[in-house]
Amino acid sequence: MKGNLQKEKGDEKLPEVTPREAYLALLNILEDVEEARLRAVEERNKTLAIITNFTDGLLFFDKENKLSLINPVAEEYLSVKGMEVIGKSLSDLVEFPRLKPIVGLLKKTTRIFRKEIKLEENLILEITTASVKRGEEELGILVVLHDITREKLIEKMKTDFVSLAAHQLRTPLSAIKWTLRMLLDGDLGKITKEQREFLEKTYNSNERMIGLINDLLNVTRIEEGRYLYKLTPVSFEDVVKEVIENYKDQIKKKKIKFKFIGFSRKVPKIKLDVEKIKLAISNFLDNAIRYTPERGKVIVSLQATDKEIRFSVEDSGIGVPKDQQNRLFTKFFRAANAIRTETEGSGLGLFISKNIIEAHGGKVGFKSEEGKGSTFYFTIPYKAKKRMKE
Amino acid sequence: MSNNAKKILLVEDEELIVNLLQRKLETEGYEVFVARDGIEGLEKMKKTKPDLVLLDIIMPRMGGFEVMEAMKKDKGLRDIPVIVISNSGQPVELDRARQLGARDWLIKTEFDPKEVLAKVKKQIG
Repeated sequence: MKGNLQKEKGDEKLPEVTPREAYLALLNILEDVEEARLRAVEERNKTLAIITNFTDGLLFFDKENKLSLINPVAEEYLSVKGMEVIGKSLSDLVEFPRLKPIVGLLKKTTRIFRKEIKLEENLILEITTASVKRGEEELGILVVLHDITREKLIEKMKTDFVSLAAHQLRTPLSAIKWTLRMLLDGDLGKITKEQREFLEKTYNSNERMIGLINDLLNVTRIEEGRYLYKLTPVSFEDVVKEVIENYKDQIKKKKIKFKFIGFSRKVPKIKLDVEKIKLAISNFLDNAIRYTPERGKVIVSLQATDKEIRFSVEDSGIGVPKDQQNRLFTKFFRAANAIRTETEGSGLGLFISKNIIEAHGGKVGFKSEEGKGSTFYFTIPYKAKKRMKE
Repeated sequence: MSNNAKKILLVEDEELIVNLLQRKLETEGYEVFVARDGIEGLEKMKKTKPDLVLLDIIMPRMGGFEVMEAMKKDKGLRDIPVIVISNSGQPVELDRARQLGARDWLIKTEFDPKEVLAKVKKQIG
């Protein structure tokens, strides 16, 4: 076979060319190559120009985790010059103060999605990474730095506005509350039965408004990230009992079959922001009573493991429709059947509760079937790893 | 009103709250003086030597915390019991009031005049 091929090749008749013709042909080929090279350079320059002029900061780390590219925007954000940092590995880059937090993130994981980093008062960056591949081959990691200072400022302005408005509303609402109370107490003279009925209804409306304002203030505090105040070691069971005490009248009024099951083992004291935990428990209990029809049942039970305690409240209420269950803990959300049962409600209670529990290092959850009832629960570890603090 | 009636100085800028509290306290036989801000409050405190001060926190010209700081520095005023009337009810604010020596506190949206009276009685009978 091999011999044959060679033979065939040898037999090929090459056209006769003069040296000049050969020279010209070679020149042609060289020109083509040169053109291709120029085109490649042009492409490369274009790509570089896009990277250079990109409005986000870009960093590219190669497979060995060495920085191989940094664009001017990233240089500016991080106060470094490309010459100083290119070719350096992650551990070398720690020396640059502004790169330190980013390097810290990259060392933990190379998959970062919209992580916020505050480099200075007026520079907040959102960091996202993308792993760069060509076919199956990993080339490295692209780090995108996006300036979100303005978005954060607007978010803060919104939170500040709600906080200010809510605070301002509290003063007149207090004045109304006090006036109505004094009228109802007969401090400003005798009132008729009919007047009393109207005043009582007005008083209750005003109380609802105060409640709503308090909810809004709680939400703004959650959004400002300063939420838990003082953690004091307390008996969780005592805290729960105190809250239940506040609902005795409502339970009686709705003729609800109520049951409380305490811990079945000895449980140590837990560090809690007591007021906030009471608020979370109240929200859970309030929902259970509110959305359970007369003569229904509500069971509050406490359980404990070696690591955590668990609070749960089971009711025979209206339940949560399946298609709406995943949105239940989001801000302002109210399930359709809840709105039908009870028009009042801010849709903030569960959102606030979730944040309170998570700030304590715990988890919230529920099981529910529409028309049959729900069980809402939360857990709190004895020792939380990471907690949000004021 | 008898001459040996206990004197209460109410330092508060919200007019309606002042009217209501004054009425409630006077009905109970207390002699009530009113100041609309911290500066006026300190002046009246020196003049009237009240048995108790009901003090708002956020007021024009001079707030409640500054009033309490000034009271601490003044021998004649430092022993007058203070009940703080807070609008926000923020734990931070209440802690500060306690540190400055407030005997008690109440949050406007959570309490009403009857409960204020109970707190007053607890302090000065």
